[in-house]
Amino acid sequence: MRVGLFIPCYVDQFYPQVAIATLELLEKLGVEVGFPLKQTCCGQPMANSGYEHLTGGCNALFTELFAEFDYVVSPSGSCTLHVKEHLHVDGSEAAAKSVRSRIYELTEFLTDVLKIEHLRARFPYRVSMHQACHGQRGLHLSQMSELVAAPYSKPERLLKMVDGLQLVPLTRPDECCGFGGTFCVTEEAVSARVGQDRIADHEQSGTEYITSADMSCLMHLEGILRRKNSPVRVRHIAEILNAE
Amino acid sequence: MSKTAKDHAGLAADFNKDPERVSWHDETLWWVRAKRDKAAQGIPEWEALRETASGIKAHTLSNLSAYLEAFEKAAIANGAIVHWAADAAEHNEIVLSLLRKAKADRMMKSKSMLTEECHLNDFLKARGVETIDTDLGERIVQLLDEPPSHIVLPAIHRKKEEIGVLFHKHLDTPEGSADPQLLTHAARLNLRDVFLTRNVALTGVNFAIAETGEFVVCTNEGNADMGAHLADIHIAAMGIEKLIPKREHLGFFLRLLTRSATGQPITTYSSHFKKPRAGQELHIILVDNGRSVQLGREDFRSSLKCIRCGACMNTCPVYRRSGGHSYHTAVAGPIGSILAPNLDMEKYADLPFASTLCGSCTNVCPVKIDIHEQLYKWRQVIVKNGYSGKLKTASMKGMAFVLSKPRVFNFSGKAGRWVLKHAPFIVNNALNPWYKQRDMPEPPAESFHQWYSKNRGKRS
Amino acid sequence: MSSSRDNILKAVAANQPELLPLPQLPQFAAYFDIPLLKFRDVLEGIGATVLSVSGYADIRNHLATHFDLTKPVYSTIAALPEFALRPGSYSRPQDLHNVELIILPAEFGVAENGAVWITDEALPERALPFIPEHLAVVIAEDAILANMHEAYLQIGQRDYGWAAFIAGPSKTADIEQSLVLGAHGPRSMTVFLLKMSGSNPDPS
Repeated sequence: MRVGLFIPCYVDQFYPQVAIATLELLEKLGVEVGFPLKQTCCGQPMANSGYEHLTGGCNALFTELFAEFDYVVSPSGSCTLHVKEHLHVDGSEAAAKSVRSRIYELTEFLTDVLKIEHLRARFPYRVSMHQACHGQRGLHLSQMSELVAAPYSKPERLLKMVDGLQLVPLTRPDECCGFGGTFCVTEEAVSARVGQDRIADHEQSGTEYITSADMSCLMHLEGILRRKNSPVRVRHIAEILNAE
Repeated sequence: MSKTAKDHAGLAADFNKDPERVSWHDETLWWVRAKRDKAAQGIPEWEALRETASGIKAHTLSNLSAYLEAFEKAAIANGAIVHWAADAAEHNEIVLSLLRKAKADRMMKSKSMLTEECHLNDFLKARGVETIDTDLGERIVQLLDEPPSHIVLPAIHRKKEEIGVLFHKHLDTPEGSADPQLLTHAARLNLRDVFLTRNVALTGVNFAIAETGEFVVCTNEGNADMGAHLADIHIAAMGIEKLIPKREHLGFFLRLLTRSATGQPITTYSSHFKKPRAGQELHIILVDNGRSVQLGREDFRSSLKCIRCGACMNTCPVYRRSGGHSYHTAVAGPIGSILAPNLDMEKYADLPFASTLCGSCTNVCPVKIDIHEQLYKWRQVIVKNGYSGKLKTASMKGMAFVLSKPRVFNFSGKAGRWVLKHAPFIVNNALNPWYKQRDMPEPPAESFHQWYSKNRGKRS
Repeated sequence: MSSSRDNILKAVAANQPELLPLPQLPQFAAYFDIPLLKFRDVLEGIGATVLSVSGYADIRNHLATHFDLTKPVYSTIAALPEFALRPGSYSRPQDLHNVELIILPAEFGVAENGAVWITDEALPERALPFIPEHLAVVIAEDAILANMHEAYLQIGQRDYGWAAFIAGPSKTADIEQSLVLGAHGPRSMTVFLLKMSGSNPDPS
């Protein structure tokens, strides 16, 4: 099984440690991982801003680079969802469709493909989970509070395998963080306010680390935490599952 | 949008100038969402109800012309008079003509978002007709001379102290009193006089039944019934999408509506109007006003399934922290943002972008409208139609260029990290909206690309 | 020159999608055991007073001790002739604005939401359930259906002029979400659950 690692553009440039943790974790679990060096971005920032028609170049590059792999795995729910729903290439639709059917977010890959039951990981801290919206409501990584349906959570199930980790609950378990892509600057006032409210909820839980399957949410939350000099830190779930 | 009128972002920024009020607005509406959750969780078949209601509405929209004709036929056989209004202006003229015919210069009205959409009150006022809104929330905003901010809870943006001041001014309640019980009772007495003296009553329509020609009006206050059963002329204004095929389908919709709206199992009154009272005239106005156009939009037609419950507003993290007025349209929030661009794409171009696309709205919608997916699709339509700013288009083209060229991408990232490290003031200033309330990310020494090349060599 | 009616119907016919079938309507069993108990529970929760009575003596007793019977009190129930609303005693429904209490029969109740079903078939004025200060309803104890689906099955193709589900006293939460009982309709609702086999709450 060869997995192609797809690293979100902002993770590549600003949070390489998340990519390193993802790579190391997959390799630890016996997966052969390749990282196409020419990758850039999934195109979501443009598409969500109404410019989906400009993403042809991104899409073609993506499809070409990842065609050779059995699976494509990414430490990002929102990027994975975007590719799953919007990857189309004029003239190579079959290839695009194939990639769409083989792309997984990290925690769903660990749960549904590798089907892991144990993890050799240790993170003895209080951790609160930010359920990123696209991963949750789009990829169904965990049950959403809106539905009358049985609860489950792929990320939390994995976190429970980590030695010493204490998961602390929130009052609004799946409210959006307010990042929303370019929304974070076009509607700065609301975006910041939503994030501040999320931070307050995490802080009241007594958490030491906020985690999520999406670094974009954590980047936004971290910006607010650091502005208020909070001792609470963010850590992407890949880093926690890879911690020893 | 006129060049001077503020868009959602601007109005939302204004709303956020009072953080305590935002907290109060957010927590009040979240509580309504929580009540909805509790009600839904109590019904094991909740998801099956949603699925069935969605299917009934989808079927109805696919057969709407036949159902409209059937409804009209049955309503006329019941003794009602049926009118057709192509747009808001025609709807308003019909109402006016009925008032003139009855020689009435006063009218009482129960909640109808359609009449808000048509700006009926202002139209009538300019022509010498007084309209009194009898729903308490609507009456409050009427006295405040502002539009309702929420389709179910019109005055949710107002605190009881403000209403106390208002009622002291208009209804002579004791100065400084903010007791909801006292204020409501004062409104009861005041509006009772309206009910007893007005001869024309206008109501909205929650559901209209094609097979029987009847329609249902749901209220907690009883104001629609007080008006309709006392007036000699009852006018019912309805959007053409309010039809459902059969009476038995009401079982599904009445189980979903109020639980979704407020968490109650049903409104106090679910009033089925079939025939006019003896000696009364019953008029039904069927209004298009852009609905037939929306019906033709493949991606957006399912927005017409909406039963106006407001659940999407209560759950929306953006609505709760920006308020209904920041959407500058009659029906606000997520559903408003996929309905309004159909009415005027330029004026409402900002609304589909007033969202993080979190998807919560789609999953509380009792008729399963894929609201967040339609918000995404409207964004594409709006940009294609040229209603996005030139600057935005230029920067998006720039982004597309960078992100499709690996070497440019890597170079740009490197440059960005250098700036953040060595000249952060270039980014950390008032021109950078991110920086206003958030710190920028710490620039790492190298990108993952660089780390990988260094540590994993040629393997790729 | 075509009318708006023609234009609208034409536009709708042109724009509506290809016919989608009506979904199969699922049957739902009650998710609670005893409709009567659920009915009481819900109705009390929404602010109504619910009383089990074995006959009209009980009802009269309760009315006498809880309402001011010196004020106008009317009923359409034949078993309460002392409260009969005599035809000709009023000319317009507005004339009933001073009524303190109206007592009406209801055909059935719905357990899941505490609603009772009232039609205009034996109602001299549609305003009667709304205009008084207080409303009381007499309903047979064994006429409680489980849910709205059963309700509409019972209603069938009935040809009323007007009918309503009424669930509790009128109310509003429009001021800061504070629940206030008594908006424009009655300020209270009393439901008498009549223990009778053969259940006609209004034996004439």
